[in-house]
Amino acid sequence: MYIPKNLDDALEYLDKNAPDAIPIAGGTDVLIQIREGKLKPKVLVDLSGFRNQLSYVKRIDGKIVIGALTSVAELDESFLVKDKRYLGFADVSAKFASPVLKALATIGGNIGVAVSASDYVTLLHVLNAQVKLVSVKGERIVPLEKLIVEKRTLAKEPNEIIYEIIFNETPENSSTAFMKFDRREMIITGYVTCAVYLQLKDNIIEDVRIAFDRVSGRIPGRAKKTEEFLRGKEFSLDVIRQAYNEVLPTEMKRKSDFRASAEYRLDMSKVMMKRALLKAKSRIEGGA
Amino acid sequence: MAQTQAQEYPEITITLNVNGKDYTVNVKPYERLIDVLRYKLGFLSVKEGCGRGECGSCAVIMDGKLVPSCLVLAVQARGKKIITLEGIAPPGKLHAIQKALLDTYAMQCGFCFPGVIMAAYYLLSKNRNPSEDEIRYALSGNLCRCGSYLRFIKAVKLAAEYIRKGQIYFDLKK
Amino acid sequence: MASPQAEYVKIVEEMFEKKKEFWLIGQYIQRWDALSKMLGKAKFTADYAYLFKNLVYVYSVRAKYAHARIKRIDVSEAEKVPGVLKVITHKDIPGVNDVGYVLPDQPLLAYEKVRYIGDIVALVVAEDPYVAEEAAEKVYVDYEPLPVITNPLDIVSFGGLKEKEHPLIHEERGSDVIARFRIIKGDVKKGFREADVIVEGEYRTQFQEHAYMEPEAALAVPEPDGGVTVITSTQCPHEARRAISKVLGLPFAKVRVVVPPLGGGFGGKEDVANEIGTKAALAALLTGRPALVVHKREESIIGHSKRHPMIARYKHGAKRDGTLTAVEAEIILDTGAYASLGPFVLWRAIVHSAGPYKIPHVHTEGVAVYTNNVYAGAFRGFGNPQVTFAIEQQMDKLAEELGMDPVELRLKNILRNGDRTVHGQLLDHGVGLEETIRKAVEATDWYRKRAEYAKQTGTIRKGIGLALLWHGNSIGAEGADYSSVTLIINRDGSITFRTGLTDFGQGAIQGLVMIAAEILGVPPDYFRVEQPDTSATPDAGPTVASRSTAMGGNAALVAAYKLRQRLNQVAADMLKCSPEDIEIRAPDVYCKSDPSRKIRWVDLVEECFWRGVPLQEFGYYRAPKAVWEDETGQGEPYFTYTFGTIVAEVTVDMETGKVTVDRITTVYDIGKVINRVGAELHAEGGAIQGMGYALMEELVHDENGRVLNPNLYAYYIPTIMDAPKEIVALWVEAGYRRGPFGAKGLGEPSINGIAPAIANAIAHAIGARITSIPITPEKVYLTLKRLGKIKL
Repeated sequence: MYIPKNLDDALEYLDKNAPDAIPIAGGTDVLIQIREGKLKPKVLVDLSGFRNQLSYVKRIDGKIVIGALTSVAELDESFLVKDKRYLGFADVSAKFASPVLKALATIGGNIGVAVSASDYVTLLHVLNAQVKLVSVKGERIVPLEKLIVEKRTLAKEPNEIIYEIIFNETPENSSTAFMKFDRREMIITGYVTCAVYLQLKDNIIEDVRIAFDRVSGRIPGRAKKTEEFLRGKEFSLDVIRQAYNEVLPTEMKRKSDFRASAEYRLDMSKVMMKRALLKAKSRIEGGA
Repeated sequence: MAQTQAQEYPEITITLNVNGKDYTVNVKPYERLIDVLRYKLGFLSVKEGCGRGECGSCAVIMDGKLVPSCLVLAVQARGKKIITLEGIAPPGKLHAIQKALLDTYAMQCGFCFPGVIMAAYYLLSKNRNPSEDEIRYALSGNLCRCGSYLRFIKAVKLAAEYIRKGQIYFDLKK
Repeated sequence: MASPQAEYVKIVEEMFEKKKEFWLIGQYIQRWDALSKMLGKAKFTADYAYLFKNLVYVYSVRAKYAHARIKRIDVSEAEKVPGVLKVITHKDIPGVNDVGYVLPDQPLLAYEKVRYIGDIVALVVAEDPYVAEEAAEKVYVDYEPLPVITNPLDIVSFGGLKEKEHPLIHEERGSDVIARFRIIKGDVKKGFREADVIVEGEYRTQFQEHAYMEPEAALAVPEPDGGVTVITSTQCPHEARRAISKVLGLPFAKVRVVVPPLGGGFGGKEDVANEIGTKAALAALLTGRPALVVHKREESIIGHSKRHPMIARYKHGAKRDGTLTAVEAEIILDTGAYASLGPFVLWRAIVHSAGPYKIPHVHTEGVAVYTNNVYAGAFRGFGNPQVTFAIEQQMDKLAEELGMDPVELRLKNILRNGDRTVHGQLLDHGVGLEETIRKAVEATDWYRKRAEYAKQTGTIRKGIGLALLWHGNSIGAEGADYSSVTLIINRDGSITFRTGLTDFGQGAIQGLVMIAAEILGVPPDYFRVEQPDTSATPDAGPTVASRSTAMGGNAALVAAYKLRQRLNQVAADMLKCSPEDIEIRAPDVYCKSDPSRKIRWVDLVEECFWRGVPLQEFGYYRAPKAVWEDETGQGEPYFTYTFGTIVAEVTVDMETGKVTVDRITTVYDIGKVINRVGAELHAEGGAIQGMGYALMEELVHDENGRVLNPNLYAYYIPTIMDAPKEIVALWVEAGYRRGPFGAKGLGEPSINGIAPAIANAIAHAIGARITSIPITPEKVYLTLKRLGKIKL
């Protein structure tokens, strides 16, 4: 365990010792990985000491900026969950982690672990989020979609840490929603999870982005063909049905495992998509 | 964690405050907060049910937030203020939530209770009049296999009522 | 000459007949251990680690394959790891390397073979738990992998349940069928010829994990005489002692087992201390230091017994008016790698395999077979929830076929006073089944909801369903059925209560205290319940099979009765009234006819002390003999049965298949409500656990016998958010003359009927039937999709 004096110290230490040394934020994933013998770090670099420094949700120049060490509990207290456009954050929080974990789990950690239980990543995908990485050599900004390569693999150097998450503010006529369900209500992975971003003008779909997790291979991803199909069309149940019956099955492979079959996952991705779009629409119109 | 670490890494001295009192302890880098609370300091109410943050039995309050002490490394708790079940009421007193859990006859095996009580205590510290849905949500990370769930809901409501009336502590003897 | 049996039976029957007014029984009373647990002061087994110095830590090295021959075990590298004190293998066992409960088929430390993924090949003992775990990776075992069998249908097949050709898992036994039981009554062929309607079905149930919140733990301390004291989480201290003695080669008297409070048991801690207690004891004796074993949750899940999965085929025949004519069934239980309680579980399943009904022609038969899955053993209900799941769905299918209401069909066929069971057992009194149905129907507005929900069309639909259940009390023909309690009235008037029965959270001991308190006239807070301890508390038989109140309650009753007789004599002498006139209500003792003639309880106790009237009593009770004819299943398998009716109300989302349970109404005939708090908690806890069984829980093995969900994240037990809005617990008190004040057991019955009631409610909601549990959203949705009832 290395306890850095400050962020610069942490970055320097990582630069010298990574990948033998790995950073630990909330620890909700790392400690379980170690427990299961899947991770055997020589040293953990404790980032919790400057948690406050990297915990924030801000509006800056038309952008929303979230510090990587912002916990789920802190996101719950931010303006995001009060702004109808970003209510998807409230949806994620409600099912992402039980209240016992909310103060530990961080949004940066959810990106960093890159597993197929990345509810925040799924939502951030539909917001076209970018991630700022920092190291001793400086900082760089990469699109989130490019950052997560595969399960537990990031396009990030071992000496870099996830610093903050950035996305553009979305117009007033837009909203987000996130859907997750499983055989029980809490402490779940979800059979299929779905996040949507919807932008409506006079009931025409100006823009739409749809992301799924537990559907396409090992990490969350976007259903871009389905989005393309919907873009510009008038919002209706018929159009949504057409999109999920005709287009959605042609993209994103679904697999069967002990939790669910590919067939069920496909059908539930349809239901989740429909329900998420309806919810987003209702939010745009002032509902919850 | 690795035995090599047990050999190579020296213990780290940390100070933490538990239930209002400062303690200075030497810990191995891989020791968890739950290990220190239970086996170094003797706060045995903190129970380990899963070691993975799934069951909530080891929940404590750390710097005002509910956390599973099995997923916090002891080193990360340095300088923090911890509250365990032993510290929610003065000696000889019961906290309103404990009184309410007795009033509703909720006790079964009791292994999950310390965690359940801490989660309820945390909820009540933020919300003095929680709805049934809010209570269910607040306790949704605390597994109870004996099935006292519906009594937990009644008890938290009752405790909230006590607290709203200013009755936070109750005499143990009664 | 009066036999001793006659005396205690006479006392129990006299109390049942004469005592009609109660000052404690049936009241809401705070349980004896509630406060210490509420304060976090109760010490569970692992907590004792804080109180001992110089502990050593034991870590179990488990199998890499679910089925393999062991060619060589090399512990030399592991023993070199700094901090490791000893690595124990089968060669180090001083006694007999076996911890099997019913059959001697389960080595503590595997030597020739491993038979499932939780088998233990070595124990690493170290100064630090993390070191022990790390060193475990350096234990090298040469395995020759063998074919893994995870499907019981690879061992036997339907149509006679004959054993198939297959590589044997237990070569030493010559067969992988561990037990076979049947009920044969009348002539089923004739019964089906007489039937107007026949329904058939195949039903499957899954491995269920106990998931008690406290993982198994044991702490063993070496004693100066070469013996050992083991503090451990077990439901059966005397049984654990037997196993530890056997493996260590020590006399029982040198092995002391002490049981702290348990964080849940549900049957899972019936035999697991045979393993964990022995592991700790071995390490303590071989190192000369106190040794601690605490299972991690992942180990707990792969390493202890589960509820037996069942595959069953049922066929029922009935007349047009609903009268049952015949039932035929073949039942296969998967007992996994070891027998554990398997033979007894199968037997209980078969005893209950026709349900609480009068049926003239019966042929049910079952086998329990080995596989390379995690072993199955005792779990609340013990074979009965499995068959009840099948039977009660069959009854609903039959009702549907006949166009009858499910309630009417059942009323036509249920057991009532004076009826004989399918085993030929006469139930001459105490059958409150019909009343449970009537109460349940009334409390739930059954007929209105049945009719109304049948008309629904939307995406979200409601359903209501019911199930009946019965449950033979205690061990029955499984074995010696006795219990005992020691009461000691101390000189200050406080009372020491001792029994070898354990409280694993269910509150059973509270009921026993209340029975003794009721008779003595001394409030429960005068009592101190001692920890079960094989050196101090009497062997009371195992704490299993819903027997604590029915059996231990009688022992408490007998002990208290005898003390009360003596107390009455002395008090009568002191107060100058007749012994029958004495009323004890500690702190006072007075004459009923003249309450002003009064002494204090402590004075009465003091007087007994000086007069030499002993105030210690040992209460013993043995159950009426159970009878079981192996070839036909005829006889009297249990001395009495608990009956019940469950009504479940559900909401189903047709698009996702997700089921929400809104309300569960339970009505149990438990003879007499003794401990009302405990009874209600059983009804609620059984309902929630049964809901998990019905809808979400399932331990999954892959084809190599590896467990895919060994944690509480992927093994789903209900959270508080899943709990029904309401659980309504109602009671029928039909009274059983040989139960304490008429009482019968409830521990296990409280889970039996939940899953079939929920399954029947789902069928009512969606118009389709799902015959395997858990009824996951996927099963519901895909069933609807295949039937064309839902289109996205």
